[in-house]
Amino acid sequence: MKDGLKMILGRRYRFAASHRLHNGQLSEEENNRVYGKCNNPFGHGHNYVVEVSVSGTVDPATGMIVNLMDLDSFVEREVIEAFDHKSLNEDVEVFRTIVPTTENVCKEIYQRLKQFPLAKLERVRVEETSNNAFEYAGEEIQDRATGH
Amino acid sequence: MVYLTRKIEFSASHLYHNPAFSAEENRQVFGKCNNPHGHGHNYALEVTVAGEPDPVTGMVLDLKELKAILEREITERMDHRFLNYEVAELKDQIPTCENIARVIWKLLEPKIRQGRLHKVRLYESPDLFAECCRNGASQG
Repeated sequence: MKDGLKMILGRRYRFAASHRLHNGQLSEEENNRVYGKCNNPFGHGHNYVVEVSVSGTVDPATGMIVNLMDLDSFVEREVIEAFDHKSLNEDVEVFRTIVPTTENVCKEIYQRLKQFPLAKLERVRVEETSNNAFEYAGEEIQDRATGH
Repeated sequence: MVYLTRKIEFSASHLYHNPAFSAEENRQVFGKCNNPHGHGHNYALEVTVAGEPDPVTGMVLDLKELKAILEREITERMDHRFLNYEVAELKDQIPTCENIARVIWKLLEPKIRQGRLHKVRLYESPDLFAECCRNGASQG
C-alpha cells in the first residue's frame, strides 16, 4: 500500500552460550583490568535474547511482511544452531580471532542475517542479560544517525 | 525533539484465512492461525508521539488526552472483540500484527493534535511485534 508508512516486523529469539573476554594481544594484567570477571579463563555463560527487526511491504494476500515460519527457520539455521549451547570462543569460527563481547556478537548476528532474502534486515538487538542490551543497524544507518 | 510513549493492553481473538486460497493453501501459509474457531492474544500497544514540550505546561501533549484517545479509538474498538468480525477497519484484511498496527496508525494519526504520531508498536506476544512509522522517520 502506498500510504507512506514503513512496516517493521520484530521477533525475539533466545540462545544460551558461554564466552570469555580475553585479547591475546594484551598482557595478563591488562586483560584482567579491562575485562574483570569476564576474563575468567574457564569462561561463563548468559541467556541471550536476540531481537530481529525486518521491514518490507505487507503482502495483501497474507497480511504479512514475511511468513514467520520462513524468518524463524532462517534465524534458527544461521544463528541459533550455531550459537545455542556453545562456547562462543571455541565453537564459533569468527570469535577465535575477535573478542566475543556482546557488541561483536550483535554485529556478527547482523552479518549473518543480512543475507535474509525475503525482507530487509533493519536492526539486531542482543540482550546479554535483562540489564545489558546492544543494537546494530549496519554502518550506513549508524553513520546517518550520528551525522557522520 | 522529545518522544513520549504510552502503553496500553487489550485482549482479542482472530484467525487468519484468505478465501482466495484453497483449504490446503490456508493451512500451509497460516498454520495454526488458520483454526476456523479463532484464537486470542493479549496485545500490548506502544504509541510514541514526537514533539517539543510546551513551554508553559512542559508537556509534548497531555497524557490524559492521549489516554482518552487510546481508550476511545483502540480499547473500545478492539478489546475483548473478535477482530475479523467486529472491527470494521479490518474487514477484508487478514488481521495480522502488521495489518492491525497499520489500522491503529490510521485511527490515531488524525486524532493527535499536539505533537505528531511517530511510532506505533504492537506486540502480539512478548516475542512478536509489528511497528509502523512514516517512511524516512528517525529511529527515535
